[in-house]
Amino acid sequence: MFEILRAMISGATADYADIRYEIMRETRILFHGRELFHIGSNTTDGFVIRVLKDGGLSSIAFTRADDAETALHTAEENAALIARHIKKPVEFGKTDIIQDTFLPDIDEDPRQISIDEKLQLTRNYNSIPLKYEKVATTNIYYSEVVREKYFVSTEGAKVREDLITTGLGGLITSKDGTLSQNVRVALGGSNGFAVLRNQEEEFEKRTAIALDLLRAAPVTGGTYNIVLNQDLAGVFTHEAFGHFSEADLIEDSTMRERMQTGAHLGNEALNIIDDPLMPGQLGFYCYDDEGVKARQVSLMKQGVLVGRLHSRRTAAAFGEGLTGHCVAEDYRYAPIVRMGNIFIKPGEKTLEDLLAMLGDGLYILDSKGGQTSGENFTFGAQYGYVIKEGKIRNMIRDINITGNLYHTLKNITAVGNDIVLSKTGGCGKGQLNIRSCHGGPHILINNVVVGGM
Amino acid sequence: MEQLLEMAGKVSDKAEIYSVDVRGDSVSFENAHLKDIDSSIQSGVSLRIMKNGILGFAYTKNLADREGLIQNALDSLKGGVEGSFDLPLTKDLPSLNTYDPLAETLSNSAMVEECSRVCEILSRKTKGQINISASRSTGSIRIINSSGTYLSWKSSAYYLSPHILYPYSSASLHRVLKSKGFAKAADEYLNFLSDTYDQSLKEVNPEGRNLKVLLLPETLYVLIWRLQTATSGLSIYQNISPLAQKSGEKIFDERLSIYSDPLNDSLPHARAFDDEGTPCSFFPIIEKGALKNFYCDLYFSMKLKTPPTGHGFKGSISSKPAPLLTHLCVAPGNKSISEILKSIDRGIIIAGALGAHSGNIPNGDFSIGVAPALYVEKGAIAGHVKDVMVAGNIYDTLKKVAEIEDTVYPSHGGNFPAMLFDNINVTLKK
Repeated sequence: MFEILRAMISGATADYADIRYEIMRETRILFHGRELFHIGSNTTDGFVIRVLKDGGLSSIAFTRADDAETALHTAEENAALIARHIKKPVEFGKTDIIQDTFLPDIDEDPRQISIDEKLQLTRNYNSIPLKYEKVATTNIYYSEVVREKYFVSTEGAKVREDLITTGLGGLITSKDGTLSQNVRVALGGSNGFAVLRNQEEEFEKRTAIALDLLRAAPVTGGTYNIVLNQDLAGVFTHEAFGHFSEADLIEDSTMRERMQTGAHLGNEALNIIDDPLMPGQLGFYCYDDEGVKARQVSLMKQGVLVGRLHSRRTAAAFGEGLTGHCVAEDYRYAPIVRMGNIFIKPGEKTLEDLLAMLGDGLYILDSKGGQTSGENFTFGAQYGYVIKEGKIRNMIRDINITGNLYHTLKNITAVGNDIVLSKTGGCGKGQLNIRSCHGGPHILINNVVVGGM
Repeated sequence: MEQLLEMAGKVSDKAEIYSVDVRGDSVSFENAHLKDIDSSIQSGVSLRIMKNGILGFAYTKNLADREGLIQNALDSLKGGVEGSFDLPLTKDLPSLNTYDPLAETLSNSAMVEECSRVCEILSRKTKGQINISASRSTGSIRIINSSGTYLSWKSSAYYLSPHILYPYSSASLHRVLKSKGFAKAADEYLNFLSDTYDQSLKEVNPEGRNLKVLLLPETLYVLIWRLQTATSGLSIYQNISPLAQKSGEKIFDERLSIYSDPLNDSLPHARAFDDEGTPCSFFPIIEKGALKNFYCDLYFSMKLKTPPTGHGFKGSISSKPAPLLTHLCVAPGNKSISEILKSIDRGIIIAGALGAHSGNIPNGDFSIGVAPALYVEKGAIAGHVKDVMVAGNIYDTLKKVAEIEDTVYPSHGGNFPAMLFDNINVTLKK
């Protein structure tokens, strides 16, 4: 395969060219309620060529090998057009030339499990919530994505890496009269099929929350001190902070002025790391889609910004070191700067300590999606509780919070000792990253705006 | 494709082939400078078969291995997904003008020139950071099935999307231009962006909760999305729609009419048939406040025992058709945007929504961050506000609309006007 790919870019007149070829096998099973809606396994493949010519960088994605020559020509034309219009030529940070094949060590290869067994497992989990009268429906899926990636560059890099991602989860919807509520289940990871087994208790637990929400009160809008659980702490870290550690997002933005390394942006309790090399975690990979070895990056130390995530282009533009964080969703896309496993390092407080420090406020749990726009972020919580004098009281629902990154980083006043990382991902920064992993311990934040009905 | 259909027909009772080819180019400018040019040449083929009342599905990116594709579809029959509907025999459809041949020859260089021109004009008028993207795509779809349907569709599209960013933020004022071929951005359009930005540049900190809320066309999708979910055949079948028993009832303000208009070929991507070959037609959802219809694809029509409505669309080549309400329009009202602004004593304009996907969508609830949130006082834009949330439920909110703009604009999710409300809960940071 490497020789075929090398031949495809051998006619390049550019200063640099690379080509990535991927074979992607997807297996999906989907239940709507008791009914099976989808089942099947399919294989697709495609190519992405990038060229750097006279300081212009351009890419093209294509699916037919016969289009390779046209694709290379188009990418070179586009790169030349960029070169004629930009003031500062694009440069690439220098990297070791890797020639390696990396196949992950996993616990039960899903390719060796029959689709009948996958269907049975999904059906069994799906039947757990459906036992309950007030569960109106479910949307429960099994997903398996196996990507076999080959990367070749004119610098001599030859890298093959496989990424195997499994997921089993979805939505449980409860209903009482005209009121419906829903809760998500999310199991999976990057280390094989075994993590999906023996999860009946998790489905029971999530079903109980969906049913309890029918009796919960909508949150009252206002400004609160809140404790976020690990999943929400992870979403905050990813959405509000992490995206602005991605160098491509701040490169041409006024946010770059504030995101200078050495800037004191957060409370001294805060230490944030991104590490794609954590074995067994969802965001694990060895080489990025530029053939650069991934490495752990310390992003914030005791509230001070100390690092950021780079592609080869942004590393050169910022004059900083390579980090190996340039990743594509699949063969339809050129790589962009992405997080791997991003998390807040745990502190020493227990949840009870944090609730005691909170006194009166809200304890909110589990993400319902988030979004960021520069310094502003918003995300939803699946459920929460009113806290009075440090004690958990009544359940609340319909919770969304919004805030300003810089104010919130300062307002994180305490960090728990109980880190958890996410098992499924779905960051949508132009492309979907199903291996986007985030987490952290419980955290206490003061002065947060909560939207209420 | 014909050969594949013949092969599939030999091993199944019914078969359908869907193929798509798309060529696209996009140009992006950041901070008024050319940043990226990307291109894409993508193709795909999917196959649905039915055998003994069971549905099978498979897809691939090219037809190099027809036998493998058919085998994948046959393998998926083992799951037992019900498939006892008829594939339509569709012909004699209205002719739509969906393709501008000039889009084929529009060069990336021409898009770079237009973006440069727009950057220059906006940079002269305002000090905000200018980000722009322009894209051109041409594509074709073919659907053939064992009932005798042979349909093809060719389309072209050109989009221009300028953003003016607020300082230290990605929040921006934006409005997209959509056409079938290249169209120069008009002065009026650029003036709207620069004038609105300049008026709202100052950061203000208003007090109080009793604020009117104006959703611009760009953010009306937050409300419409909830309605799309509630009127889908999927939600009706799953018994999670609050509208299931309300067909014919007046559920919204009588000035509200919302419909799907796939045959309107003045905009890109008009469709005479959906991704299953079912004919598309003008399709009212809300007429003068009353709920008129639910929409379905072939599968959920079978489940609900109702006729298909021409709303079976595929999200990508790898997905089966599912009910999707496309080509949406909200009927315009009778006030200009300046008249509506003048009617606001104190209010917030939602120019950008954060977290629209995170509320309880089937229930109609929304709770979003607003960025940018423009503040209106005494009939004029007075600045922008940070840390704003608005929340409500569309079945309360849309019962009483204060004003609807007299013009619609191509926006995310459809062709929408701006809409003013005085019953949406606003939370500001203390």
